[in-house]
Amino acid sequence: MSQQKEQGNVVSRLYQWVKNGLDRTVYMGIQYTYPKRFVSPLGYLGVLTGMVFLVLGVTGGLLMIYYQPTLSGCGSLTCAFASIERINNTVPFGWLLRNIHYTASNAMVLLAVLHMYYQYFSGRFKIKNEVLWVTGVILGIITGVEAFTGYDLLFNQRAGLAIEIGSSLANASPLVGGTLRLATFGAGFTDFVLRLYAAHVFILPMFMLILVFIHFPRYLVFDLPVISTVVGGLFLVAAIFPVAVGIAYSPSNPQLTIPEWYITGIYALLRTEFDKFVMGGLMPALLFLMALVVPFVDTSKKLNWKDRPFFTALGITTIAQILITTAWGFYINPDTSLPTLSRLFIDPALYFSSMLGVTVLSFAFTYAFLRYLKAKERVRRAVAPMSPLLTKKWVFIIFLMLVGAQLALNFFAWTAALTNLNAMTLFDVGAILVTFGVIAHLYRYSQSLPF
Amino acid sequence: MSAVLAIVPFVPWGNFLLSSVSSSGAYKRQKVVLDMNTTSNNNANGAVAGKQVNVNDLTSFPPNGSWLITYPSSGDLTLDSQNPDTFQKFALIRLPSELDGSNKAASSFIAFSKVCVHLWCSPNYDPQKSTNAAFETYQCPCHGSIYQLPVKDPQDPSSLIDGGKAIAGPASLQAAPTNAIPMLTLTADPNGDLNIEPPLWDVDHNGVLGYGRNYQSYQNYILPSAEGKPTS
Repeated sequence: MSQQKEQGNVVSRLYQWVKNGLDRTVYMGIQYTYPKRFVSPLGYLGVLTGMVFLVLGVTGGLLMIYYQPTLSGCGSLTCAFASIERINNTVPFGWLLRNIHYTASNAMVLLAVLHMYYQYFSGRFKIKNEVLWVTGVILGIITGVEAFTGYDLLFNQRAGLAIEIGSSLANASPLVGGTLRLATFGAGFTDFVLRLYAAHVFILPMFMLILVFIHFPRYLVFDLPVISTVVGGLFLVAAIFPVAVGIAYSPSNPQLTIPEWYITGIYALLRTEFDKFVMGGLMPALLFLMALVVPFVDTSKKLNWKDRPFFTALGITTIAQILITTAWGFYINPDTSLPTLSRLFIDPALYFSSMLGVTVLSFAFTYAFLRYLKAKERVRRAVAPMSPLLTKKWVFIIFLMLVGAQLALNFFAWTAALTNLNAMTLFDVGAILVTFGVIAHLYRYSQSLPF
Repeated sequence: MSAVLAIVPFVPWGNFLLSSVSSSGAYKRQKVVLDMNTTSNNNANGAVAGKQVNVNDLTSFPPNGSWLITYPSSGDLTLDSQNPDTFQKFALIRLPSELDGSNKAASSFIAFSKVCVHLWCSPNYDPQKSTNAAFETYQCPCHGSIYQLPVKDPQDPSSLIDGGKAIAGPASLQAAPTNAIPMLTLTADPNGDLNIEPPLWDVDHNGVLGYGRNYQSYQNYILPSAEGKPTS
């Protein structure tokens, strides 16, 4: 009996055995921090991006089971498009997986961009070395390419537009254009869909994993309540704004479509009808180059954005320019009597003057705002120690109510799944995850309360 | 080790990615058979779907007509017709009589790629427009790029030049060689059956599909002589 007390029962002995076996592996090498109280998620947006990457990996792996990266053999529609229609309409839970995968892809791009800008403005990147920043930028670019290759696989009208833009950009590269396009996109749509599939499901994720192990900080903030809420929020968005499969791509029935928001900017640049390579290739490359050199140029010891007015203004300029370019991309002249090309045309004079104007405005605004802040700077008032918001009793009551709501939501999700209410199921599962996040946070909060 | 490293730059490693466009093996000489779902834009071609093209048959394949063909063929006409990959689709056009399309020779036919070199949409042949002076007949529905049929050489009116060159729309604004549509090389048997010769997919020969073709340096290769041999 005493021996059992020393070594624990079978389960705990097994746990210890596995844990010892995993010693000095990469999983044990990373140290996680579980914050004891709520900390701003802005500091660990990278971890959240990684969590969304996990969601994408799981849903993507399941979607691979039914997706067919081929064209011929499915009648007039391409097999790629037909198989996605099948996933969406007939495969059980296919609709849910596809919508989660789509929303998560958008969320990952968004979180990666937010992560970069937060690190940039807060100056946190200076605490780490330059390699981390550079791998981060490369990871961001691969994330964009991953999203791009992913939505090309649908072979709907939107994918068609993206395929056309991507291939014509490769074609337009000087000297190597034709060969570059043949090497990356292949000699036709049949090659194209297979190559992009290989890149999307294996080659690019592998590069991302390799880079992620460089990019990881030594201490990861693993905040379960926030992660659960973010993933739940993802499900809620996917349920409220489900994405349609769209119309099958047909090169002979052109339609005016707008690409995904993260490449709408490049679409706008191309629509100025300047040289394709300069507008679609060099201009975005300039932005990435600028992002790459930041830690080598901004070498001051100052972290706060208020103490780095030039770089703050530069960051705000890039945000404003990206927003304006993207907004241009969404604009199509509504006058249907005009020929397609004139409807899509963006006046370069107007476009470039707006770019220049917004640059001047951003710098002027930033410097003026910082001067205003300096003038207004006052002695900080002492903050009175906060008394706890809730007593233990109320925490317990809310806790019980949330657990009740959780049970009800579980029941709702179950009945919705049984009656094939896809969006309802997804919404309920999202709500379950969000509620779990709140419950976990409440538990953590109660631990800090005095008895 | 250093010997291995020395030859590394001279080994064409990149050919792995370009393998699907190499002309060895996959691309063979093939008889021209029309697709089952070939679009009928000429009143005489309603019954020709799936038919072998013969240059002597002026009733089934009249001048100024156009049909859809697949190259390379899988050998199964039904599968070919259902293939949605426009990179394997070509518009077979019999030239208008003004361009000697009524000659019983392979030179009265031309086969344009169905992939526009601007943004990969599928251009179509419009026989109604063939009466204008420039033969602006092969037009893309997306952004209006127009490719011309070959025109008579001002120096030598017996030969045709500059076929497939973009003369209007965004494709015409692109730099050479991305301003002309790729074509197939056609020859005829002694009995008149039309054949597709194995193409060379580079800009100086049949062109790179979806990219372009150098229409000036290689126009003679594209329009074969009546004997069934490319004249180059």
